Amino acid sequence: MNDAVVRIPRRTLFVAVGALVAVLLTLALVVTGVVARAADANTVASASVLKTQQSAAERDIERAYEQAVAQVRKVRALNLAITAAQADAITLKALNDLKALRHSGLVSLGQVLGLATADVEANATATEQRFDQAPLSAEPAASPVLLAPRLYAIAGRMSELATQLSDQATTDLTAPAATPAPTAAPSPSRTPTPSASPTARP
Amino acid sequence: MKPATRRFIAFWVIVPALLGAVFASAMDPRALPFTGHEQLSAVFLLDGQAYFGHLEDVPWSGTITLRDVYYFEDASKVTTDLPLALVKRGSELHQPVDVMRIRRDKVLVVERVSLDSPVGRAIASQRALDRVAK
Repeated sequence: MNDAVVRIPRRTLFVAVGALVAVLLTLALVVTGVVARAADANTVASASVLKTQQSAAERDIERAYEQAVAQVRKVRALNLAITAAQADAITLKALNDLKALRHSGLVSLGQVLGLATADVEANATATEQRFDQAPLSAEPAASPVLLAPRLYAIAGRMSELATQLSDQATTDLTAPAATPAPTAAPSPSRTPTPSASPTARP
Repeated sequence: MKPATRRFIAFWVIVPALLGAVFASAMDPRALPFTGHEQLSAVFLLDGQAYFGHLEDVPWSGTITLRDVYYFEDASKVTTDLPLALVKRGSELHQPVDVMRIRRDKVLVVERVSLDSPVGRAIASQRALDRVAK
């Protein structure tokens, strides 16, 4: 009886085992996601994209400011139960607070964008002046931009606080005359500041 | 042509060529590793929620894995251009770490996200701002 014998040269065996180990190692790296993580690039926005984001965030802040101001002025134009002096004082305080809030929002924006400390204030002031001269409502609508989460945090907080301020002014202005009205003297009240810190979500 | 030569050509030329053609037709060249292109994916779940990030999809696993995850949030009450906002996962109360595993049977659609899309640009901008913050 003849036994069938397969002769494999030692060199071929080494090559085959080496190839098998290489394949198994590659499979292990692919399966565990190591290759994917090592090979996957992370795209970072160019300066022009960041500029677009900055402009959009500034528009969002300004839009929140203008809407709140419009609401306060609209309520002030109504026939109110409180005296004109009281109404003027409430309106003035609300508008000043909203202006301070817008400034804080623009300063926060500059900080998040990495502007130098000296430039942050100047940039915020220049942006305010630009919007004061040409309000958003008078400008043609720009193409919509989806904000980066850090910028959205500022715009969202600004919007929330501006609404709170205008709602508070509305409540004060429309209060019955019998209730004690807020003092006419402008008090150095602390204006809430929009911050870039993320808010907890459910 | 000798039979041995025919066998050699069939085994080392025709079969690899056919296998290569089959794999190439099913493969996006930009999806190959180390090509320098970011592979950003959108995962749409059956409940309507969408998540964006780097996808690891191993066919024999019951879950898919997303890293560097973002999702949409309703922003209709905020004065942004769009009624949607992009939020980076990690700021929730339980502060999840970077990895998100999703049950495969809850996935409706997986799509590649264009880097020039609003989502792609917003994520790229977030990374640039993260670098500034460091």
